[in-house]
Amino acid sequence: MLEFNDITLQVHQQLLLEQVSLQMATGDKVVICGPSGSGKSSLLKATVGALPLSGGKVRVEGKELSAQTVAEIRAGIAFIGQEPELCAERVHEALLLPFKFKTHRHNTPNKYQILEYLERLQLPEAILNKPCNRISGGEKQRIVIIRALLLGKSIFLADEVTSALDPESRATVMTELFRPEITLLSVSHDPEWICACSRLVEFSNHQLVEAGK
Amino acid sequence: MTAELTIPALLSMYALMLVPLAIFFYLQLGIIRETLISIVRMTVQLVLVGLYLKYIFQLNNPLVSLLWVVVMLVVANISILNKAGLKAGLFFWRSMIGIAGSTLFVSGWFILVAIRPEPFYDARYMVPIVGMILGNCLRSNVLSLERFYSGIRENEQAFMTHLMLGATLREATRPFLRTAVKAAVNPSVATMATMGIVSLPGMMTGQILGGEMPMNAIKYQIGIMICIFVAMVTAALVNILLSLSIAFDDHQRLKQDIFQ
Repeated sequence: MLEFNDITLQVHQQLLLEQVSLQMATGDKVVICGPSGSGKSSLLKATVGALPLSGGKVRVEGKELSAQTVAEIRAGIAFIGQEPELCAERVHEALLLPFKFKTHRHNTPNKYQILEYLERLQLPEAILNKPCNRISGGEKQRIVIIRALLLGKSIFLADEVTSALDPESRATVMTELFRPEITLLSVSHDPEWICACSRLVEFSNHQLVEAGK
Repeated sequence: MTAELTIPALLSMYALMLVPLAIFFYLQLGIIRETLISIVRMTVQLVLVGLYLKYIFQLNNPLVSLLWVVVMLVVANISILNKAGLKAGLFFWRSMIGIAGSTLFVSGWFILVAIRPEPFYDARYMVPIVGMILGNCLRSNVLSLERFYSGIRENEQAFMTHLMLGATLREATRPFLRTAVKAAVNPSVATMATMGIVSLPGMMTGQILGGEMPMNAIKYQIGIMICIFVAMVTAALVNILLSLSIAFDDHQRLKQDIFQ
């Protein structure tokens, strides 16, 4: 499903990962731990071609990441970054943003689907008309999670997605992302999240260490 | 006939420059030297151009006029890329298509469809009209290219988020394209809205001072304003669109080595 073979990653001439390999099967829930700057977030970004690889290969559902496949791979993965970036003026525009693009236009959700997710993540309907710069960090994080869920993808890359959430919202997010059919590669320092994952890997000295569970 | 501006009278104009220079000195702006160099450059360039234009108008040869237009286009193009902070060597030809295409198209329209001088290549029309349109395109293209690329650079995370959400390069750059084109045309929209009340445009004023009937001068001014606006918008859009394939790599990431 997700394969990293001999990945070497450098950012601003600084070596982060050296010949790191990781294989994930469908439904795997992997969490990456490690000190700040060890390359955890960079690996997630490199998976969708947001950062260039210095070496190695990434394969997603059998397709090798390349100039020819990058758009298709991005379209098949839900990426939730550490800093929630809404890219819109109002919340409802932020939620519908990906559905303005050709790739997702045919999947545009209806209002009931949006309201259902808002309810599940304890957000009021009124938030839809609020300006994005007037909502809290926790609300922003839940909005980007809802946006990712609305896309209906089966592969999720999640970078510290519960860091600004209250326990109740975190439990709901975890219920959604830990469904058996979802393949999840995540970065987290949240003990509950780490506990819920099927595998824990750590980055140390530019290498990946399988810490098991 | 225009009243003659004698050399002593012109020197008195230079004396006026003492006012801003004194202000710069008082505010310690540190741009006195730069300003003086600009004044000298302006004077030398205009004198040379005056001599050259006199020669071009007398000769009235289409090839010589065209050559002068090409020189103007090349200098404008390099100036646009340098001022926008982009490497001129990388973008030169693509930018040239945008700036030359739009300038020549609207200039051609104005000369061949609207004014129809005899002969159609009359240097007295071709050179100043292309020059006026190009000068305005230069300003707007510097703004649009600079805004577009600095916008993406400063909001790279937002740009990448669009890509992560499935946008194509065109779709991910569209918000930045909108901002850039708006920045390029907004000053002209404001200028047009107040023209005749707040400002009397240079070309019209020049024609009136040269003895032209005001209504004819106004018709020319309206024509040239429309030409300038059309050229500015098309050049800004075409230049950005043509630059995309150079500025982004095959994974749609903004290349860092395109900047000066």
